[in-house]
Amino acid sequence: MRLKQLLVAGLCALGPAVVHAQSADALGWLRKMHNATHKLSYTGTFVYQNGVRSETSRITRFADASGDVEKLEVMDGMPREIVRTKDTVSCYLPGSRVVKVDRRTERDFPALLPERITGLARHYDISLGETHRIAGYDCQAVVLTPRDNLRYGYRLYADVTTGMLLKAVTLDAKGEQVEQMTFTQLTMGGVTRDMVQPRRGARSWRVEDAAAAPAQLAGWGLSKELPGFEKIIELKRRLGETRSAGQVVYSDGMAAVSVFIEPLEARSEPARTGLSSMGAIHIYTREVANHRVTVVGEAPAVSVQRIANAVEYRKP
Amino acid sequence: MKERLSELMDGELDDRSAAEVIKALGSNREAVRAWRTYQLISDAMRESRLLSADFTARFSERLAHEPTVFAPRAMQTESRRWLAMSAAASVAAVALVAWVAFAPQPELKSAAPVAQAEPKPNLVPLPSAANDYLLAHQGFSPRLSLQGMAPYVRTVSEQAVEPRK
Repeated sequence: MRLKQLLVAGLCALGPAVVHAQSADALGWLRKMHNATHKLSYTGTFVYQNGVRSETSRITRFADASGDVEKLEVMDGMPREIVRTKDTVSCYLPGSRVVKVDRRTERDFPALLPERITGLARHYDISLGETHRIAGYDCQAVVLTPRDNLRYGYRLYADVTTGMLLKAVTLDAKGEQVEQMTFTQLTMGGVTRDMVQPRRGARSWRVEDAAAAPAQLAGWGLSKELPGFEKIIELKRRLGETRSAGQVVYSDGMAAVSVFIEPLEARSEPARTGLSSMGAIHIYTREVANHRVTVVGEAPAVSVQRIANAVEYRKP
Repeated sequence: MKERLSELMDGELDDRSAAEVIKALGSNREAVRAWRTYQLISDAMRESRLLSADFTARFSERLAHEPTVFAPRAMQTESRRWLAMSAAASVAAVALVAWVAFAPQPELKSAAPVAQAEPKPNLVPLPSAANDYLLAHQGFSPRLSLQGMAPYVRTVSEQAVEPRK
C-alpha cells in the first residue's frame, strides 16, 4: 500500500486540475445535502435494507428557529422510537419500558461541517453519477469511491430541487451493496411540533441516562492509528443502566468507528473475542488489560479489526 | 527532510506535500538513502517479506527497456511548454509502468501495510448490549449531517440478535 499511496500521490499531483474539475460539482452537491438536512421539515417512509433484512420506519423532521426536532419510528418488529432534539437523543423501548437518554451539547458534536467536506476528497474520489427518480423526486447521484480498502464506497441520491438525500447505498470493495436506506414516500413541509413528540406516555418508564461527558481516558490509546481516521472525541459515559465505559471516536469524515472500554468486573458475562456484523456495521470485541474493548463502526471488517487490535493500555 | 520522509511513509502528507517530497527524492541522494533505510526498518519491524536483494536493479533494468513513447525526438525543437508536458507525461508513464509492475503481483502484497492480513477473526453473535453500543456510536456518525437521523435506524430488534455470517 505504501508504494501504491506513493504512486497515487504522484499521479494525483500530476493531474490535480482533472481531479478537481471532476469533483467540484460533486462537493457542491454534498454541501447542498448538508444544508437541506439542516433546513427542511419533512415526513416520510423509509426502508433500511441489509442483506435479506429490511425494516420500514417513519422519519419526521420539524425544522424551527427555536430548535429542530427529529423523530424516527421503527414500524417493523420490536417497536422503537428515537427522538433527537438539539442536545438530546432519547430512545424509547416500549418492550422493556426503558428510555435511553444521551445528552450532548452541540459543541462536542463532531458533525460533518461544510468546511470538512473538501477534506473528504483525501480519502474518497467524489464524482457525479446518474440522475434517477426516487419516491417521485428527480435525484442526482453523488458517488464516493474510497481510495483504499479501509472504507466503504457510497452512492448518495439527492433531490435535484432541494438537495434532500433520498437514498444512500453503501458499497463494499467489490462494488456490492452492503446496505441501503431509501425513502419510499416523502412529503416536504407541513410538519407540526406535535408530529415529533414521542407518541407513548413514557413517564413511568425507567430512564437510562448515558451521562456522557468529554474526558481523558488515561493510558488508553492506539499503538497504530488507521490511515485517514482521526480521533474526534474522547468521553466517559454509561452504557445500559449502570455500566461505566470510555468511548473514543475516530472518523475519516464519512465513516466513524467508536472504541468502547469497560472494566471487566462491571460485566457479568466474559468478553467473547471476535467479530460480528450487521449491514455496514462491524463490531469487534476483545479483552485488553482486564477491560472489555468493543469496537463499533460503519467500516469494513478489516478497519474495525485493525483498530481493535491496536488498542493498548500503557500505565500513565 | 527526514521528518517529511517519515510522514510520507506513514501516508500523513496531503497530495501536494507528498508530490514535493517525491520530487525531492528524485534529486537528493541522501534522502533516497534515508528512504531506503526507513523502508528496511519498517519491513523489519513488521516482519514483512523482503523483496529479493536485486529487485531494484532488475526493476530499473526492466524500466530502462520500456519504450519511451511520449517524447519523440522531433518534439525537442518545440516550445518549452511541450518539453514540460512531455516531461510530465514521462513521469506519468514511469508512474504507470511502476503501477502496472507492482499492482498485479500478489507476492508483493505482504510488504504493504494495508494488505497485511489481520488474523482471520472468530465470527460471534452480536453482543447482547449491541443496541447500547449502536446508540452511543450513531450520534457521532458524520452521516447524520447529510442524512438527518436515518443512520439511527441501525439498531437491533430483539429478534435480530443472532449470529450472522
